[in-house]
Amino acid sequence: MPPRDYATEKEKCKTFLQEFYRDDEFGKKHFKYGSQLAALAHREQVALYIDLDDVAEEDPELVDCICENTRRYTSLFADAVQELLPEYKQKEVVNKDSLDVYIEHRLMMEQRVHDPNEIRDSKNQYPPELMRRFELYFKAPSSSKSRVIREVKADCIGKLVTIRGIVTRVTEVKPMMVVATYTCDQCGAETYQPIQSPTFMPLMMCPSRECQTNRSGGRLYLQTRGSKFVKFQEIKVQEHSDQVPVGNIPRSMTVFVRGENTRRAQPGDHVSVTGVFLPMLRTGFRQMVQGLLSETYLEAHRIVKMNKTEDDELGTEELSEDELKQITEEDFYEKLAASIAPEIYGHEDVKKGLLLLLVGGVDHSPRGMKIRGNINICLMGDPGVAKSQLLSYIDRLAPRSQYTTGRGSSGVGLTAAVMKDPVTGEMTLEGGALVLADEGICCIDEFDKMMDTDRTAIHEVMEQQTISIAKAGIMTTLNARCSILAAANPAYGRYNPKKTVEQNIQLPAALLSRFDLLWLIQDRPDRDNDLRLAQHITYVHQHSRQPPSQFQALDMKLMRRYISMCKQKQPSIPESLADYLTAAYVEMRKEARTNKDTTYTSARTLLAILRLSTALARLRLVDTVEKEDVNEAMRLMEMSKDSLLGDKGQLTRTQRPVDVIFATVREMAPEKGIRSVKLTEAEQRCISKGFTPAQFEAALEEYEELNVWQVNQARTKITFI
Amino acid sequence: MPCSRDWLLNPLGVVQELFAHNGPNLEWEKKVTEYFREKLKENNASKWVPSLNEVPLHYLKPNSLVRFRCMVQDMFDPELYMGVYETVDASSKSRVLHFGKYRDMAECGPRQEVDVNSAQTVTLERQTFYCVPVPGESPWVKEAYASSNQTHVCPSTSYAPSRHKRSYDDMECQPSRHKESCSGNSDGDFHGCGEPKRLETEAPAGQWLMSPNCSPSLDLNFPLPGEKGPACLVKVYENRDNLKVNDVLEVFGVLSVDSVPCATEERENTSPFLDAMDCADSIEEQRVHSPPASLVPRIHVLLIHKLQQINPLIPSSLQEEEKKLFVSGFMLELSSVRAELLGFLTHAFLGDSLAAEYLILHLISTVYARRDVLPLGKFSLNLSGCPRSSHFPHHLYRILQQLVPSSYNLQMTIQNMNTLRFVPRKDYTSNRLLSGLLQLASNTLLQIDETVLEEGQLDTTGVQNVTALGNLITWQKVDYDFRYHQMEFPCNINVLVTSEGRSLLPSDCQVHLKPEILPPNMEEYVSNLLTAVVPSLLNKFRIYLSLVRLLDYSISDEVTKAVEEDFVEMRKNDPQSITADDLHRILVVARLLSLSAGQTTLSRERWLRAKQLESQRKTRLQQQQCVNGNEL
Repeated sequence: MPPRDYATEKEKCKTFLQEFYRDDEFGKKHFKYGSQLAALAHREQVALYIDLDDVAEEDPELVDCICENTRRYTSLFADAVQELLPEYKQKEVVNKDSLDVYIEHRLMMEQRVHDPNEIRDSKNQYPPELMRRFELYFKAPSSSKSRVIREVKADCIGKLVTIRGIVTRVTEVKPMMVVATYTCDQCGAETYQPIQSPTFMPLMMCPSRECQTNRSGGRLYLQTRGSKFVKFQEIKVQEHSDQVPVGNIPRSMTVFVRGENTRRAQPGDHVSVTGVFLPMLRTGFRQMVQGLLSETYLEAHRIVKMNKTEDDELGTEELSEDELKQITEEDFYEKLAASIAPEIYGHEDVKKGLLLLLVGGVDHSPRGMKIRGNINICLMGDPGVAKSQLLSYIDRLAPRSQYTTGRGSSGVGLTAAVMKDPVTGEMTLEGGALVLADEGICCIDEFDKMMDTDRTAIHEVMEQQTISIAKAGIMTTLNARCSILAAANPAYGRYNPKKTVEQNIQLPAALLSRFDLLWLIQDRPDRDNDLRLAQHITYVHQHSRQPPSQFQALDMKLMRRYISMCKQKQPSIPESLADYLTAAYVEMRKEARTNKDTTYTSARTLLAILRLSTALARLRLVDTVEKEDVNEAMRLMEMSKDSLLGDKGQLTRTQRPVDVIFATVREMAPEKGIRSVKLTEAEQRCISKGFTPAQFEAALEEYEELNVWQVNQARTKITFI
Repeated sequence: MPCSRDWLLNPLGVVQELFAHNGPNLEWEKKVTEYFREKLKENNASKWVPSLNEVPLHYLKPNSLVRFRCMVQDMFDPELYMGVYETVDASSKSRVLHFGKYRDMAECGPRQEVDVNSAQTVTLERQTFYCVPVPGESPWVKEAYASSNQTHVCPSTSYAPSRHKRSYDDMECQPSRHKESCSGNSDGDFHGCGEPKRLETEAPAGQWLMSPNCSPSLDLNFPLPGEKGPACLVKVYENRDNLKVNDVLEVFGVLSVDSVPCATEERENTSPFLDAMDCADSIEEQRVHSPPASLVPRIHVLLIHKLQQINPLIPSSLQEEEKKLFVSGFMLELSSVRAELLGFLTHAFLGDSLAAEYLILHLISTVYARRDVLPLGKFSLNLSGCPRSSHFPHHLYRILQQLVPSSYNLQMTIQNMNTLRFVPRKDYTSNRLLSGLLQLASNTLLQIDETVLEEGQLDTTGVQNVTALGNLITWQKVDYDFRYHQMEFPCNINVLVTSEGRSLLPSDCQVHLKPEILPPNMEEYVSNLLTAVVPSLLNKFRIYLSLVRLLDYSISDEVTKAVEEDFVEMRKNDPQSITADDLHRILVVARLLSLSAGQTTLSRERWLRAKQLESQRKTRLQQQQCVNGNEL
């Protein structure tokens, strides 16, 4: 390949800078770089970022050259800009700092003293770096992918690369010398020395002609005032944990940051750095001894701070076609739900509930009243049914979450603490778990073991989504817009289905009603389930992997990204569904009235259904709630209630419908006086409980034969004997 | 071709020869690896290579071939080096090509200069691993390795084989005595070495043998407190990607003690003013990443083996044929060895054979697969009911240490929990991974003694440590602390918890000890027990425990069916006591039972036996609970 003619390349740069334009909204030509050059000329702007996407529009070949040999092109572009600047200068700029004054003086001196035609010694000439008051950086083309640090290898040297990582260390910003200016103590001539490497050998002897010819041996002294310094910072970037192969230590890279790019990042920030990968040049002694080794660094061109969550979930772009296809298959709802804690077998409905909790409903704030969209779920159940595992999985999956236990956290630990600063004596607020989980999920294990006083703090959070503090002179309200996922053990070791929920978990109804879904996970023997469970476990032990019939659980990262995508949707409930919802609600209320031992059905239940259905609509990535969503929401509610009740039939062993009807009727009978019940009322109650009139008749007959009760002739009244 | 001695004493010469023959194209690299692989294959040639584990550094000649048995503790960032470079003679301007592989310093005559801009220069990448000796390696393992080295006549002159024994003694003896013996030896030893000056400067430094004695400024970063032995910077050239942290390696390579001058020293030489960017942090980093070569020698790797296990009594994976023979030979006497071992452990457990049975199962358990996050095959044991008065756990550890290749006894006192570092932590100032107690190689036995735990206050560190132990037991993983995030490192550590009552740590299986005899003097009892075992039998125990672990295992479809049926049946009869976890556990017990008997498939009988064992264990636990209940 013939060597490139860099003079023509420079011309290319020039024309690009001058001629590149975009049509703005009025159809006028907007010279993107031209206007910036003007700003540079007037010293209103320091850094000039050249977007390689723009360059690609003009000359794709040039982009490749730039990416391959970035350093050279940086100086080419800088030279081009330098030459162009006078053309863009429209007014005189006021001198800003000492260096300006200094340069101006030199320029004036030069005009006065020297003959313009005289050829000057190169060392005494003003180096372009000294005069340059702008910085030039490249922005990598959007087509280039950012790399993992461990993939940046020797073949990347000299090229423009983009890496992502976490900043682990930053040094202070220090001045770095770019041009050293010396004056001679004999002849007074000034000498300049551009510096490219981290260390340099200072000039000692005056090279000016005067001193040379006189052999006066003039000594040079460094002039800090006349030297040019730039801001310099060294940062260390380490790979993200997800970029590291299992069992490896994350690698890191040194990044040198200059000028305007300094102070862009703090330790702990997630950044994306575009820069030139270069070997560190050592001079003199160190080069000798290090001989074989060369350290490398990345000379930063552009540093972008990224949000951890944004970076994790959205990655580089939206979900790709493939990934979307993978998710939005026919049974995506089941699939997503099953991908939650795949190591826990079964509990499909619980997992669906948890999925909706992750997605969350839509917040409403009609006329200043705030109705939360976050879904709260409480998992109850016998010890050892993987409640904690579900919790910890959600904790890992959710981008923002806090995990605490009821015992381990006091009310202060959950909400906020007022601390007295030992030095200043000022009162400061420190957020607790609930505050830290704002806009996230707060998982509270051992919810029942929490002290009563601590629990009250949660009431407010669960409905108002705020925490009010009035302590030690600080009165404030903190946001705690979090979903609460609680796990509780039954009070007496095992769940006693004969008792109510409140009795079983010893939580007040006021708190329980704030949970949208209450799940009772119970360990019940059931032949089919047991067999499936056994097959599952034995398969795992036999082949040490997941049974093949099972679907492939979705990747956690993919789930996260999908969920964050869902969260962007704000589905609304159409008018047409309002009637349906009210009807359903009225129905549930009615049912609740007849069926006294379930949880309360209140207006909160209706809100819960709304939340669940909006979450479902979000999950489908649509903007309106459909009837199916409401149905599914109600089904989930129903299932969650069933899980609390359903056990009844099981434990009282094969209770025939007849017996249940008898029990129902007996409950209706008054305790004292004539124990009789109106037959129509009894029938209605039984039918509302899901029995057929025929079953009712059968029960009536059977118990009459047993002489437990009597039905009067008119068949209007049942009297107990 | 170079003679056999050369490749031991002067491996670089061999490399040079191969390099010269095969020219500057990268073909020569393969040739070098091949050459050494062939050489080491030859009848036990690997035993001739002196091992850094046994021979103190100052007995070894620089640039000779050494081997090192170690665990990867940390991985540094890869470094670029000149694979091939050219030197120019200042006077004659003649150019010579050199290879930069397997070296720290450029080889360059007094009047020569490295031509950095030469077109011939090839830049290559290598990676440095910080390696420490296998943590918790039992004394008998070290001894066995040392003696196996001794049996072969070492062909070298500058380090006579007779010295190996002495050098080993050095490790064992007191620090003061050790120093004497060191300096005593050093006078005569180093005349042939060509670098006597090096020794003088090092001898007073206390040597790496005694890491606690070593200058406190440099922490050698051993995972376990009180460990000794050399730490090494292992420079790996090929196949770097399949090595992981905590892997146990056997490394053959060129020992290099040329120290790259420390940045700090150099900085003093040049004026600080001229250093355009001066970074205080990097000094610390430099100090840690290139410690004095006398303390932390470098090994340039020629060959590297990942070791599955470090039991010296089992032939390493080098010779496949021999290994097969060995295994099939041992299988014949397997059942008798098992019976003997069971008897031995029953004695150790004061006559409790059930606990002994479970201990065997525990000792041969290993994580054989991971399903998502759930490790399969782990079997952590909680031995409750340990008599507290007689320091039983301590004596138990003495016995176990004789059986397993690597182990550690953790005294779970409040103070230990609050002060020790359990989880490795990344130190960003020095840019290294500070090791922690839980950074252990696979199949290490971690005995946690909970009987010493007293009432008291755990602080933040304490709580974190308890959590880390819990995670280790349940998930077989350790979350290393990288300050800004945590990283999960899977591990495979056998955790045995000894406690009085039920342990506060989780466990897969709790066995309540039921001693039948209570010897008045535990110390004497255990010592007698240990001396009563013939060394050859003890060796058989050791082989048994390590070998059985490596066997493959499968479950046939018929047995699977039967097991499923059985489970459903059990659930039907007593749904409260049998859960999915129980099935998991019985399957693991059945697996380990089969393996312990040398069977590689599950049979119906084993399944029943596993169930029987489990029910025995459970009844005992229930009895214990009843007793406790009555007492209350």
